[in-house]
Amino acid sequence: MRFSSFTYLVGQGWHNMRANRLMTFASMGVLTVCMLLVGAAFLVGINIDAMVEYIGEQNQTIVYLQDGLTEEQTAAVDSAIRAIPGVVGVTYVSPEEVLQRYDSELQLDSRTSLAAAFADDIPFDANYIVVVDDLKNLSGILPQLLAIDGVTDLRSPLELSEVFLSLQRAITYAGYGMVGVLALVSIVIINNTIRITVFSRRKEIGIMKLVGATNGFIRFPFFVEGVTSGLLSAAIASGIICGAYYALIRWYGEHQNNITQMFGGSLVPLQEVWYILVVAFAAFGFVLCGIGTATSIRKHLNV
Amino acid sequence: MIDFEHVTKIYETKNDENVALEDVSLHIDEGEFVFVLGHSGAGKSTFLKLMLMEEKPTEGVVAINGQDLTRIKRRKVPYMRRQMGCVFQDFRLIPTMTVYENVAFAMRVTNISTKTIKSRVPFALSLVGLEDKMDRLPDELSGGEQQRVAVARALAHGPKLIIADEPTGNIDPEMSMDIMQLFEAINKVHITVVVVTHEHELVHKLAAKYNNRIITLAHGQIADDTAHPEVAREYAARMAERESEEVYAE
Ligand SMILES: Nc1ncnc2c1ncn2[C@@H]1O[C@H](COP(=O)(O)OP(=O)(O)OP(=O)(O)O)[C@@H](O)[C@H]1O
Ligand SMILES: [Mg+2]
Repeated sequence: MRFSSFTYLVGQGWHNMRANRLMTFASMGVLTVCMLLVGAAFLVGINIDAMVEYIGEQNQTIVYLQDGLTEEQTAAVDSAIRAIPGVVGVTYVSPEEVLQRYDSELQLDSRTSLAAAFADDIPFDANYIVVVDDLKNLSGILPQLLAIDGVTDLRSPLELSEVFLSLQRAITYAGYGMVGVLALVSIVIINNTIRITVFSRRKEIGIMKLVGATNGFIRFPFFVEGVTSGLLSAAIASGIICGAYYALIRWYGEHQNNITQMFGGSLVPLQEVWYILVVAFAAFGFVLCGIGTATSIRKHLNV
Repeated sequence: MIDFEHVTKIYETKNDENVALEDVSLHIDEGEFVFVLGHSGAGKSTFLKLMLMEEKPTEGVVAINGQDLTRIKRRKVPYMRRQMGCVFQDFRLIPTMTVYENVAFAMRVTNISTKTIKSRVPFALSLVGLEDKMDRLPDELSGGEQQRVAVARALAHGPKLIIADEPTGNIDPEMSMDIMQLFEAINKVHITVVVVTHEHELVHKLAAKYNNRIITLAHGQIADDTAHPEVAREYAARMAERESEEVYAE
Protein backbone atom coordinates (compact mmCIF):
# COMPACT_ATOMS: atom_id res chain seq x y z
CA MET A 1 0.00 0.00 0.00
CA ARG A 2 1.20 3.49 -0.80
CA PHE A 3 2.01 5.84 2.02
CA SER A 4 -0.49 8.36 0.66
CA SER A 5 -3.15 5.64 0.68
CA PHE A 6 -2.22 4.73 4.22
CA THR A 7 -2.56 8.29 5.48
CA TYR A 8 -5.76 8.65 3.52
CA LEU A 9 -7.26 5.54 5.13
CA VAL A 10 -6.20 6.58 8.61
CA GLY A 11 -7.80 9.95 7.92
CA GLN A 12 -10.97 8.20 6.76
CA GLY A 13 -11.08 6.18 9.98
CA TRP A 14 -10.82 9.33 12.08
CA HIS A 15 -13.33 11.05 9.89
CA ASN A 16 -15.77 8.21 10.60
CA MET A 17 -15.22 8.67 14.31
CA ARG A 18 -16.06 12.36 14.10
CA ALA A 19 -19.04 11.72 11.88
CA ASN A 20 -20.41 9.32 14.51
CA ARG A 21 -19.20 11.30 17.47
CA LEU A 22 -22.10 10.44 19.73
CA MET A 23 -21.64 6.73 19.21
CA THR A 24 -17.89 7.09 19.44
CA PHE A 25 -18.16 8.88 22.78
CA ALA A 26 -20.65 6.36 24.12
CA SER A 27 -18.53 3.38 23.17
CA MET A 28 -15.34 4.98 24.40
CA GLY A 29 -17.11 5.76 27.68
CA VAL A 30 -18.06 2.12 28.12
CA LEU A 31 -14.58 0.97 27.15
CA THR A 32 -13.01 3.37 29.61
CA VAL A 33 -15.25 2.17 32.42
CA CYS A 34 -14.42 -1.44 31.57
CA MET A 35 -10.72 -0.67 31.70
CA LEU A 36 -11.10 1.22 34.96
CA LEU A 37 -12.86 -1.74 36.54
CA VAL A 38 -10.18 -4.13 35.34
CA GLY A 39 -7.50 -1.71 36.51
CA ALA A 40 -9.11 -1.29 39.93
CA ALA A 41 -9.35 -5.06 40.32
CA PHE A 42 -5.71 -5.33 39.38
CA LEU A 43 -4.68 -2.69 41.91
CA VAL A 44 -6.68 -4.29 44.70
CA GLY A 45 -5.18 -7.65 43.79
CA ILE A 46 -1.63 -6.41 43.64
CA ASN A 47 -1.95 -4.66 46.99
CA ILE A 48 -3.42 -7.71 48.64
CA ASP A 49 -0.53 -9.70 47.19
CA ALA A 50 1.89 -7.19 48.60
CA MET A 51 0.26 -7.31 52.02
CA VAL A 52 0.24 -11.08 52.07
CA GLU A 53 3.84 -11.06 51.06
CA TYR A 54 4.68 -8.51 53.71
CA ILE A 55 3.01 -10.59 56.34
CA GLY A 56 4.76 -13.63 54.98
CA GLU A 57 8.08 -11.88 55.37
CA GLN A 58 7.06 -11.17 58.92
CA ASN A 59 6.96 -14.92 59.43
CA GLN A 60 8.41 -14.28 62.83
CA THR A 61 6.62 -15.24 65.91
CA ILE A 62 8.15 -13.55 68.90
CA VAL A 63 8.25 -15.74 71.96
CA TYR A 64 8.69 -13.73 75.17
CA LEU A 65 10.54 -15.34 78.03
CA GLN A 66 9.99 -15.00 81.71
CA ASP A 67 12.21 -12.49 83.46
CA GLY A 68 15.40 -13.82 85.03
CA LEU A 69 15.60 -17.29 83.59
CA THR A 70 18.80 -19.16 84.23
CA GLU A 71 20.98 -20.25 81.39
CA GLU A 72 19.88 -23.81 81.83
CA GLN A 73 16.22 -22.86 81.75
CA THR A 74 16.83 -20.81 78.64
CA ALA A 75 18.56 -23.72 76.99
CA ALA A 76 15.60 -25.95 77.89
CA VAL A 77 13.19 -23.50 76.29
CA ASP A 78 15.46 -23.36 73.26
CA SER A 79 15.47 -27.11 72.74
CA ALA A 80 11.71 -27.32 73.45
CA ILE A 81 11.04 -24.82 70.70
CA ARG A 82 13.33 -26.62 68.30
CA ALA A 83 11.58 -29.89 69.04
CA ILE A 84 8.27 -28.63 67.67
CA PRO A 85 7.74 -29.99 64.14
CA GLY A 86 7.54 -27.26 61.53
CA VAL A 87 9.83 -24.83 63.29
CA VAL A 88 12.72 -24.04 61.01
CA GLY A 89 14.41 -21.12 62.66
CA VAL A 90 15.01 -20.13 66.25
CA THR A 91 16.98 -17.04 67.14
CA TYR A 92 17.70 -15.89 70.63
CA VAL A 93 17.48 -12.19 71.18
CA SER A 94 19.01 -10.96 74.41
CA PRO A 95 17.61 -7.87 76.17
CA GLU A 96 20.74 -6.01 75.07
CA GLU A 97 20.03 -6.78 71.46
CA VAL A 98 16.45 -5.63 71.79
CA LEU A 99 17.69 -2.37 73.15
CA GLN A 100 20.20 -2.07 70.35
CA ARG A 101 17.51 -2.55 67.76
CA TYR A 102 15.19 0.04 69.20
CA ASP A 103 18.10 2.41 69.39
CA SER A 104 18.90 2.11 65.71
CA GLU A 105 15.27 2.03 64.58
CA LEU A 106 14.28 5.15 66.44
CA GLN A 107 17.29 6.95 64.98
CA LEU A 108 17.54 9.67 67.54
CA ASP A 109 20.17 12.28 66.96
CA SER A 110 23.73 11.23 67.48
CA ARG A 111 24.11 12.74 70.92
CA THR A 112 21.25 10.88 72.50
CA SER A 113 21.87 7.19 72.71
CA LEU A 114 19.06 5.01 73.92
CA ALA A 115 21.51 2.20 74.47
CA ALA A 116 23.62 4.35 76.72
CA ALA A 117 20.66 5.67 78.67
CA PHE A 118 19.31 2.26 79.56
CA ALA A 119 22.60 0.40 79.69
CA ASP A 120 22.30 -0.39 83.39
CA ASP A 121 18.71 -1.36 83.66
CA ILE A 122 17.35 -2.80 80.45
CA PRO A 123 13.54 -2.67 80.42
CA PHE A 124 13.17 -5.47 77.83
CA ASP A 125 12.73 -9.20 78.20
CA ALA A 126 14.78 -11.69 76.29
CA ASN A 127 12.88 -13.40 73.51
CA TYR A 128 13.10 -15.92 70.73
CA ILE A 129 12.22 -15.22 67.15
CA VAL A 130 10.67 -18.35 65.73
CA VAL A 131 10.27 -18.95 62.01
CA VAL A 132 8.01 -21.72 60.73
CA ASP A 133 8.28 -23.63 57.47
CA ASP A 134 4.80 -22.82 56.21
CA LEU A 135 2.28 -20.26 57.38
CA LYS A 136 -0.44 -22.87 57.10
CA ASN A 137 1.10 -24.86 59.99
CA LEU A 138 1.29 -21.87 62.27
CA SER A 139 -2.06 -22.27 63.95
CA GLY A 140 -0.94 -25.69 65.24
CA ILE A 141 2.42 -24.45 66.39
CA LEU A 142 1.35 -21.40 68.41
CA PRO A 143 -0.32 -23.31 71.33
CA GLN A 144 2.68 -25.62 71.55
CA LEU A 145 4.96 -22.63 71.95
CA LEU A 146 2.79 -21.14 74.63
CA ALA A 147 2.77 -24.42 76.55
CA ILE A 148 6.54 -24.37 77.03
CA ASP A 149 7.71 -23.63 80.54
CA GLY A 150 9.23 -20.16 80.83
CA VAL A 151 7.30 -18.68 77.89
CA THR A 152 5.08 -15.81 78.98
CA ASP A 153 3.67 -14.45 75.78
CA LEU A 154 3.64 -14.67 72.00
CA ARG A 155 3.28 -12.09 69.35
CA SER A 156 2.31 -13.25 65.88
CA PRO A 157 0.82 -11.05 63.18
CA LEU A 158 0.07 -14.17 61.26
CA GLU A 159 -3.37 -14.91 62.58
CA LEU A 160 -4.64 -12.81 59.70
CA SER A 161 -2.72 -14.70 57.11
CA GLU A 162 -5.37 -17.33 56.47
CA VAL A 163 -8.08 -14.78 55.94
CA PHE A 164 -5.76 -13.03 53.57
CA LEU A 165 -4.83 -16.07 51.61
CA SER A 166 -8.47 -16.88 50.92
CA LEU A 167 -9.18 -13.23 50.11
CA GLN A 168 -6.29 -13.26 47.67
CA ARG A 169 -7.66 -16.34 45.96
CA ALA A 170 -11.17 -14.92 45.76
CA ILE A 171 -9.92 -11.68 44.30
CA THR A 172 -7.82 -13.49 41.72
CA TYR A 173 -10.80 -15.51 40.52
CA ALA A 174 -13.16 -12.54 40.59
CA GLY A 175 -10.55 -10.56 38.70
CA TYR A 176 -10.27 -13.15 35.94
CA GLY A 177 -14.05 -13.43 35.70
CA MET A 178 -14.41 -9.69 35.50
CA VAL A 179 -11.76 -9.34 32.82
CA GLY A 180 -13.58 -11.98 30.79
CA VAL A 181 -16.97 -10.34 31.09
CA LEU A 182 -15.66 -6.85 30.43
CA ALA A 183 -13.66 -8.05 27.45
CA LEU A 184 -16.83 -9.46 25.99
CA VAL A 185 -18.71 -6.24 26.71
CA SER A 186 -15.98 -4.24 25.00
CA ILE A 187 -16.02 -6.45 21.92
CA VAL A 188 -19.78 -6.15 21.62
CA ILE A 189 -19.67 -2.39 22.03
CA ILE A 190 -17.03 -1.88 19.36
CA ASN A 191 -18.72 -4.39 17.11
CA ASN A 192 -21.88 -2.32 17.32
CA THR A 193 -20.16 0.98 16.77
CA ILE A 194 -18.39 -0.23 13.68
CA ARG A 195 -21.57 -1.80 12.41
CA ILE A 196 -23.27 1.57 12.62
CA THR A 197 -20.40 3.21 10.74
CA VAL A 198 -20.53 0.52 8.09
CA PHE A 199 -24.25 1.01 7.78
CA SER A 200 -24.01 4.76 7.47
CA ARG A 201 -21.34 4.34 4.81
CA ARG A 202 -22.87 1.45 2.90
CA LYS A 203 -23.34 3.59 -0.18
CA GLU A 204 -19.68 4.54 -0.26
CA ILE A 205 -18.70 0.95 0.38
CA GLY A 206 -20.85 -0.18 -2.56
CA ILE A 207 -19.16 2.35 -4.81
CA MET A 208 -15.73 1.36 -3.53
CA LYS A 209 -16.42 -2.25 -4.41
CA LEU A 210 -17.64 -1.33 -7.88
CA VAL A 211 -14.60 0.69 -8.75
CA GLY A 212 -12.36 -2.14 -7.62
CA ALA A 213 -11.28 -1.38 -4.06
CA THR A 214 -9.81 -4.42 -2.34
CA ASN A 215 -11.41 -5.77 0.82
CA GLY A 216 -8.39 -4.74 2.81
CA PHE A 217 -8.70 -1.19 1.55
CA ILE A 218 -12.39 -1.06 2.43
CA ARG A 219 -11.84 -2.51 5.89
CA PHE A 220 -8.79 -0.57 6.91
CA PRO A 221 -10.55 2.65 8.01
CA PHE A 222 -12.88 0.64 10.21
CA PHE A 223 -9.91 -0.91 11.93
CA VAL A 224 -8.43 2.53 12.35
CA GLU A 225 -11.68 3.66 13.93
CA GLY A 226 -11.99 0.66 16.24
CA VAL A 227 -8.39 0.60 17.32
CA THR A 228 -8.23 4.38 17.80
CA SER A 229 -11.30 4.20 20.03
CA GLY A 230 -9.60 1.45 22.00
CA LEU A 231 -6.32 3.30 22.36
CA LEU A 232 -7.97 6.62 23.27
CA SER A 233 -10.04 4.84 25.90
CA ALA A 234 -6.84 3.26 27.18
CA ALA A 235 -5.19 6.68 27.44
CA ILE A 236 -8.17 8.15 29.29
CA ALA A 237 -8.45 5.15 31.61
CA SER A 238 -4.70 5.24 32.32
CA GLY A 239 -4.89 8.92 33.24
CA ILE A 240 -7.86 8.47 35.50
CA ILE A 241 -6.62 5.39 37.29
CA CYS A 242 -3.09 6.67 37.83
CA GLY A 243 -4.43 9.95 39.18
CA ALA A 244 -6.90 8.24 41.46
CA TYR A 245 -4.34 5.73 42.70
CA TYR A 246 -1.84 8.47 43.39
CA ALA A 247 -4.44 10.29 45.47
CA LEU A 248 -5.30 7.07 47.28
CA ILE A 249 -1.66 6.40 48.12
CA ARG A 250 -1.31 9.85 49.64
CA TRP A 251 -4.54 9.54 51.57
CA TYR A 252 -3.48 6.14 52.86
CA GLY A 253 -0.13 7.48 53.91
CA GLU A 254 -1.78 10.23 55.91
CA HIS A 255 -4.31 7.97 57.57
CA GLN A 256 -2.19 5.36 59.25
CA ASN A 257 -3.26 3.32 62.25
CA ASN A 258 -2.33 0.06 63.96
CA ILE A 259 -4.06 -2.05 61.37
CA THR A 260 -2.52 -0.37 58.36
CA GLN A 261 0.85 -0.63 60.09
CA MET A 262 0.39 -4.32 60.46
CA PHE A 263 0.17 -4.60 56.67
CA GLY A 264 3.29 -2.69 55.97
CA GLY A 265 1.88 0.80 56.21
CA SER A 266 2.02 1.67 52.54
CA LEU A 267 0.42 0.72 49.23
CA VAL A 268 2.34 -0.52 46.23
CA PRO A 269 3.89 2.67 44.85
CA LEU A 270 2.58 4.17 41.60
CA GLN A 271 5.93 3.93 39.84
CA GLU A 272 5.81 0.15 40.18
CA VAL A 273 2.38 -0.21 38.55
CA TRP A 274 1.70 2.64 36.15
CA TYR A 275 3.44 1.14 33.15
CA ILE A 276 1.74 -2.19 33.72
CA LEU A 277 -1.62 -0.40 33.67
CA VAL A 278 -0.80 1.64 30.58
CA VAL A 279 0.52 -1.31 28.60
CA ALA A 280 -2.32 -3.58 29.71
CA PHE A 281 -4.96 -0.98 28.84
CA ALA A 282 -3.41 -0.33 25.45
CA ALA A 283 -3.23 -4.04 24.72
CA PHE A 284 -6.78 -4.50 26.03
CA GLY A 285 -8.03 -1.70 23.79
CA PHE A 286 -6.03 -2.75 20.77
CA VAL A 287 -6.81 -6.44 20.81
CA LEU A 288 -10.45 -6.26 21.83
CA CYS A 289 -11.29 -3.43 19.47
CA GLY A 290 -9.50 -5.26 16.72
CA ILE A 291 -11.62 -8.33 17.41
CA GLY A 292 -14.76 -6.23 17.69
CA THR A 293 -14.06 -4.57 14.35
CA ALA A 294 -13.13 -7.81 12.61
CA THR A 295 -16.28 -9.56 13.76
CA SER A 296 -18.52 -6.70 12.71
CA ILE A 297 -17.12 -6.11 9.24
CA ARG A 298 -16.79 -9.74 8.30
CA LYS A 299 -20.52 -10.01 8.08
CA HIS A 300 -21.18 -6.67 6.48
CA LEU A 301 -18.49 -6.34 3.89
CA ASN A 302 -19.01 -9.50 1.89
CA VAL A 303 -17.94 -8.74 -1.62
CA MET B 1 -13.02 -8.76 -25.19
CA ILE B 2 -16.30 -10.07 -23.75
CA ASP B 3 -17.45 -13.65 -24.18
CA PHE B 4 -20.65 -15.29 -23.01
CA GLU B 5 -20.77 -19.03 -23.63
CA HIS B 6 -24.12 -20.71 -23.03
CA VAL B 7 -24.76 -18.55 -20.01
CA THR B 8 -27.83 -19.26 -17.94
CA LYS B 9 -28.64 -17.27 -14.84
CA ILE B 10 -31.37 -18.46 -12.52
CA TYR B 11 -32.19 -16.46 -9.39
CA GLU B 12 -33.32 -18.75 -6.63
CA THR B 13 -35.93 -17.15 -4.43
CA LYS B 14 -37.82 -18.69 -1.55
CA ASN B 15 -40.77 -19.90 -3.56
CA ASP B 16 -39.63 -20.14 -7.13
CA GLU B 17 -36.82 -19.90 -9.62
CA ASN B 18 -36.43 -16.86 -11.80
CA VAL B 19 -34.77 -17.48 -15.11
CA ALA B 20 -33.10 -14.16 -15.95
CA LEU B 21 -30.83 -15.37 -18.76
CA GLU B 22 -31.21 -18.55 -20.74
CA ASP B 23 -28.39 -20.06 -22.79
CA VAL B 24 -26.95 -16.75 -23.90
CA SER B 25 -23.85 -16.85 -26.12
CA LEU B 26 -22.22 -13.81 -27.66
CA HIS B 27 -18.92 -12.15 -28.31
CA ILE B 28 -18.13 -8.45 -28.10
CA ASP B 29 -14.89 -7.26 -29.66
CA GLU B 30 -12.48 -4.77 -28.24
CA GLY B 31 -13.44 -1.26 -29.31
CA GLU B 32 -17.04 -2.15 -30.07
CA PHE B 33 -20.00 0.00 -29.03
CA VAL B 34 -22.98 -2.13 -28.09
CA PHE B 35 -26.47 -1.07 -27.11
CA VAL B 36 -28.50 -3.64 -25.20
CA LEU B 37 -32.25 -3.24 -25.56
CA GLY B 38 -35.12 -5.26 -24.13
CA HIS B 39 -38.36 -5.15 -22.22
CA SER B 40 -38.40 -4.75 -18.46
CA GLY B 41 -37.27 -7.99 -16.86
CA ALA B 42 -35.63 -9.20 -20.06
CA GLY B 43 -32.37 -9.76 -18.21
CA LYS B 44 -30.43 -6.66 -19.23
CA SER B 45 -29.18 -5.74 -15.79
CA THR B 46 -28.37 -9.37 -15.08
CA PHE B 47 -26.28 -9.39 -18.23
CA LEU B 48 -24.21 -6.48 -16.90
CA LYS B 49 -24.03 -7.83 -13.34
CA LEU B 50 -22.41 -10.98 -14.65
CA MET B 51 -19.70 -8.88 -16.27
CA LEU B 52 -19.22 -6.86 -13.09
CA MET B 53 -18.99 -10.08 -11.05
CA GLU B 54 -21.87 -8.97 -8.90
CA GLU B 55 -23.58 -12.21 -9.83
CA LYS B 56 -22.28 -15.58 -10.94
CA PRO B 57 -23.78 -17.50 -13.83
CA THR B 58 -25.76 -20.59 -12.91
CA GLU B 59 -24.35 -22.28 -15.99
CA GLY B 60 -21.92 -21.34 -18.72
CA VAL B 61 -18.87 -19.12 -18.84
CA VAL B 62 -18.48 -15.35 -18.81
CA ALA B 63 -15.02 -14.20 -19.82
CA ILE B 64 -13.41 -10.80 -20.14
CA ASN B 65 -10.08 -10.55 -21.96
CA GLY B 66 -9.97 -14.32 -21.98
CA GLN B 67 -10.29 -14.44 -18.16
CA ASP B 68 -13.04 -16.79 -17.02
CA LEU B 69 -14.83 -14.69 -14.42
CA THR B 70 -16.33 -17.74 -12.72
CA ARG B 71 -12.86 -19.11 -12.02
CA ILE B 72 -11.36 -15.91 -10.75
CA LYS B 73 -10.22 -15.89 -7.13
CA ARG B 74 -12.16 -13.63 -4.79
CA ARG B 75 -8.98 -11.79 -4.02
CA LYS B 76 -8.52 -10.94 -7.68
CA VAL B 77 -12.03 -9.63 -8.26
CA PRO B 78 -11.17 -6.00 -7.37
CA TYR B 79 -8.27 -5.99 -9.81
CA MET B 80 -10.52 -7.33 -12.55
CA ARG B 81 -13.05 -4.57 -11.80
CA ARG B 82 -10.39 -1.94 -12.26
CA GLN B 83 -10.31 -2.79 -15.93
CA MET B 84 -13.89 -1.59 -16.19
CA GLY B 85 -15.80 1.56 -15.46
CA CYS B 86 -19.49 1.53 -14.71
CA VAL B 87 -22.32 4.04 -14.78
CA PHE B 88 -25.78 3.54 -13.31
CA GLN B 89 -29.21 5.03 -13.62
CA ASP B 90 -29.03 6.43 -10.06
CA PHE B 91 -25.56 8.04 -10.57
CA ARG B 92 -24.23 6.62 -7.26
CA LEU B 93 -22.39 9.76 -6.28
CA ILE B 94 -21.57 10.41 -2.64
CA PRO B 95 -23.72 13.38 -1.64
CA THR B 96 -21.30 14.73 0.98
CA MET B 97 -18.39 14.91 -1.43
CA THR B 98 -17.78 17.53 -4.07
CA VAL B 99 -17.62 16.64 -7.74
CA TYR B 100 -13.83 16.60 -7.55
CA GLU B 101 -13.79 14.44 -4.43
CA ASN B 102 -16.26 11.98 -5.92
CA VAL B 103 -13.94 11.29 -8.81
CA ALA B 104 -10.79 11.41 -6.68
CA PHE B 105 -12.34 9.03 -4.16
CA ALA B 106 -12.85 6.31 -6.76
CA MET B 107 -9.24 6.66 -7.87
CA ARG B 108 -7.95 6.76 -4.33
CA VAL B 109 -9.55 3.46 -3.36
CA THR B 110 -7.80 1.74 -6.24
CA ASN B 111 -4.45 2.76 -4.82
CA ILE B 112 -3.58 5.40 -7.42
CA SER B 113 -0.94 7.93 -6.36
CA THR B 114 -1.96 11.37 -5.17
CA LYS B 115 0.06 12.95 -7.94
CA THR B 116 -1.77 11.02 -10.62
CA ILE B 117 -5.11 11.80 -9.00
CA LYS B 118 -4.37 15.52 -8.94
CA SER B 119 -3.69 15.61 -12.66
CA ARG B 120 -6.22 13.03 -13.78
CA VAL B 121 -9.36 14.27 -12.00
CA PRO B 122 -9.47 17.68 -13.67
CA PHE B 123 -8.68 16.00 -16.99
CA ALA B 124 -11.54 13.50 -16.62
CA LEU B 125 -13.91 16.29 -15.58
CA SER B 126 -12.89 18.41 -18.55
CA LEU B 127 -13.71 15.49 -20.85
CA VAL B 128 -17.31 15.61 -19.62
CA GLY B 129 -17.37 19.42 -19.64
CA LEU B 130 -17.54 19.94 -15.89
CA GLU B 131 -14.13 21.42 -15.15
CA ASP B 132 -15.72 24.62 -13.86
CA LYS B 133 -18.06 22.78 -11.44
CA MET B 134 -15.47 20.72 -9.60
CA ASP B 135 -16.25 22.21 -6.20
CA ARG B 136 -20.01 21.75 -6.33
CA LEU B 137 -21.86 19.10 -4.40
CA PRO B 138 -23.90 16.58 -6.43
CA ASP B 139 -27.12 18.18 -5.14
CA GLU B 140 -26.14 21.42 -6.80
CA LEU B 141 -26.00 19.82 -10.25
CA SER B 142 -28.68 18.81 -12.73
CA GLY B 143 -29.34 15.12 -13.34
CA GLY B 144 -27.43 15.20 -16.59
CA GLU B 145 -24.47 16.87 -14.93
CA GLN B 146 -24.49 14.36 -12.10
CA GLN B 147 -24.42 11.57 -14.63
CA ARG B 148 -21.50 13.22 -16.36
CA VAL B 149 -19.64 13.22 -13.06
CA ALA B 150 -20.36 9.50 -12.84
CA VAL B 151 -18.99 9.06 -16.36
CA ALA B 152 -15.87 11.02 -15.44
CA ARG B 153 -15.46 8.78 -12.40
CA ALA B 154 -15.83 5.67 -14.54
CA LEU B 155 -13.18 6.97 -16.93
CA ALA B 156 -10.68 8.37 -14.47
CA HIS B 157 -8.73 5.19 -13.80
CA GLY B 158 -8.36 4.49 -17.51
CA PRO B 159 -10.54 1.40 -18.02
CA LYS B 160 -10.70 -0.59 -21.26
CA LEU B 161 -14.40 -1.22 -20.87
CA ILE B 162 -17.28 1.04 -19.89
CA ILE B 163 -20.54 -0.52 -18.78
CA ALA B 164 -23.66 1.57 -18.32
CA ASP B 165 -27.05 0.43 -16.97
CA GLU B 166 -29.80 2.82 -18.12
CA PRO B 167 -27.52 5.82 -17.80
CA THR B 168 -30.24 8.13 -19.11
CA GLY B 169 -33.08 6.65 -17.06
CA ASN B 170 -33.25 9.62 -14.70
CA ILE B 171 -32.41 12.34 -17.16
CA ASP B 172 -34.59 14.41 -19.44
CA PRO B 173 -34.47 13.57 -23.16
CA GLU B 174 -32.22 16.42 -24.37
CA MET B 175 -29.64 15.62 -21.72
CA SER B 176 -29.91 11.94 -22.63
CA MET B 177 -28.61 12.68 -26.07
CA ASP B 178 -25.63 14.49 -24.51
CA ILE B 179 -24.77 11.55 -22.32
CA MET B 180 -25.04 9.10 -25.19
CA GLN B 181 -22.85 11.31 -27.35
CA LEU B 182 -20.36 11.28 -24.53
CA PHE B 183 -20.24 7.49 -24.66
CA GLU B 184 -19.76 7.66 -28.42
CA ALA B 185 -16.81 9.99 -27.87
CA ILE B 186 -15.34 7.62 -25.30
CA ASN B 187 -15.69 4.77 -27.78
CA LYS B 188 -13.70 6.83 -30.30
CA VAL B 189 -10.56 6.35 -28.21
CA HIS B 190 -10.94 2.61 -28.50
CA ILE B 191 -12.69 1.96 -25.20
CA THR B 192 -15.29 -0.79 -25.44
CA VAL B 193 -18.73 0.50 -24.43
CA VAL B 194 -21.80 -1.51 -23.44
CA VAL B 195 -24.91 0.57 -22.78
CA VAL B 196 -28.16 -0.93 -21.52
CA THR B 197 -31.19 1.24 -22.19
CA HIS B 198 -34.82 1.08 -23.22
CA GLU B 199 -34.78 4.28 -25.24
CA HIS B 200 -35.34 2.65 -28.62
CA GLU B 201 -35.66 5.85 -30.63
CA LEU B 202 -32.49 7.35 -29.32
CA VAL B 203 -30.61 4.10 -29.85
CA HIS B 204 -31.71 3.71 -33.43
CA LYS B 205 -30.87 7.30 -34.23
CA LEU B 206 -27.37 6.97 -32.76
CA ALA B 207 -26.76 3.49 -34.12
CA ALA B 208 -27.55 4.70 -37.61
CA LYS B 209 -25.13 7.57 -37.26
CA TYR B 210 -22.28 5.79 -35.51
CA ASN B 211 -22.87 2.29 -36.80
CA ASN B 212 -23.32 0.80 -33.32
CA ARG B 213 -24.28 -2.76 -32.63
CA ILE B 214 -27.68 -3.38 -31.05
CA ILE B 215 -28.41 -6.53 -29.06
CA THR B 216 -32.03 -7.09 -28.07
CA LEU B 217 -32.84 -9.33 -25.15
CA ALA B 218 -36.26 -10.88 -24.64
CA HIS B 219 -37.20 -13.26 -21.84
CA GLY B 220 -33.59 -13.94 -21.06
CA GLN B 221 -32.57 -14.77 -24.61
CA ILE B 222 -30.96 -12.84 -27.43
CA ALA B 223 -33.84 -11.97 -29.73
CA ASP B 224 -31.83 -9.86 -32.14
CA ASP B 225 -28.26 -8.82 -32.79
CA THR B 226 -27.53 -6.35 -35.60
CA ALA B 227 -24.03 -7.78 -35.96
CA HIS B 228 -25.41 -11.28 -36.46
CA PRO B 229 -28.65 -11.30 -38.43
CA GLU B 230 -28.96 -15.08 -38.07
CA VAL B 231 -29.57 -14.67 -34.34
CA ALA B 232 -32.98 -13.14 -34.96
CA ARG B 233 -33.96 -15.97 -37.29
CA GLU B 234 -32.85 -18.62 -34.79
CA TYR B 235 -34.78 -16.90 -32.03
CA ALA B 236 -37.92 -16.68 -34.18
CA ALA B 237 -37.62 -20.35 -35.04
CA ARG B 238 -37.16 -21.28 -31.39
CA MET B 239 -40.19 -19.26 -30.36
CA ALA B 240 -42.30 -20.80 -33.11
CA GLU B 241 -41.24 -24.26 -31.98
CA ARG B 242 -42.17 -23.53 -28.38
CA GLU B 243 -45.47 -22.11 -29.39
CA SER B 244 -46.35 -25.20 -31.37
CA GLU B 245 -45.26 -27.37 -28.43
CA GLU B 246 -47.61 -25.42 -26.21
CA VAL B 247 -50.44 -25.75 -28.68
CA TYR B 248 -49.71 -29.46 -28.95
CA ALA B 249 -49.72 -29.80 -25.18
CA GLU B 250 -53.13 -28.23 -25.01
N1 LIG C 1 -31.82 -10.57 -7.06
C1 LIG C 1 -32.83 -11.15 -7.74
N2 LIG C 1 -33.53 -12.16 -7.18
C2 LIG C 1 -34.51 -12.76 -7.85
N3 LIG C 1 -34.89 -12.43 -9.08
C3 LIG C 1 -34.22 -11.43 -9.70
C4 LIG C 1 -33.16 -10.75 -9.06
N4 LIG C 1 -32.69 -9.81 -9.90
C5 LIG C 1 -33.44 -9.91 -11.03
N5 LIG C 1 -34.36 -10.88 -10.91
C6 LIG C 1 -35.29 -11.30 -11.94
O1 LIG C 1 -34.57 -11.64 -13.10
C7 LIG C 1 -35.22 -11.13 -14.25
C8 LIG C 1 -34.31 -10.22 -15.04
O2 LIG C 1 -34.02 -9.10 -14.24
P1 LIG C 1 -33.13 -7.88 -14.75
O3 LIG C 1 -32.92 -6.97 -13.63
O4 LIG C 1 -31.94 -8.43 -15.41
O5 LIG C 1 -34.08 -7.21 -15.82
P2 LIG C 1 -33.87 -5.89 -16.67
O6 LIG C 1 -33.89 -6.29 -18.09
O7 LIG C 1 -32.73 -5.14 -16.20
O8 LIG C 1 -35.21 -5.09 -16.34
P3 LIG C 1 -35.42 -3.50 -16.20
O9 LIG C 1 -35.47 -2.95 -17.59
O10 LIG C 1 -36.74 -3.40 -15.53
O11 LIG C 1 -34.32 -2.99 -15.40
C9 LIG C 1 -36.49 -10.46 -13.76
O12 LIG C 1 -37.55 -11.37 -13.92
C10 LIG C 1 -36.23 -10.20 -12.30
O13 LIG C 1 -37.42 -10.29 -11.57
MG1 LIG D 1 -32.38 -3.30 -15.18
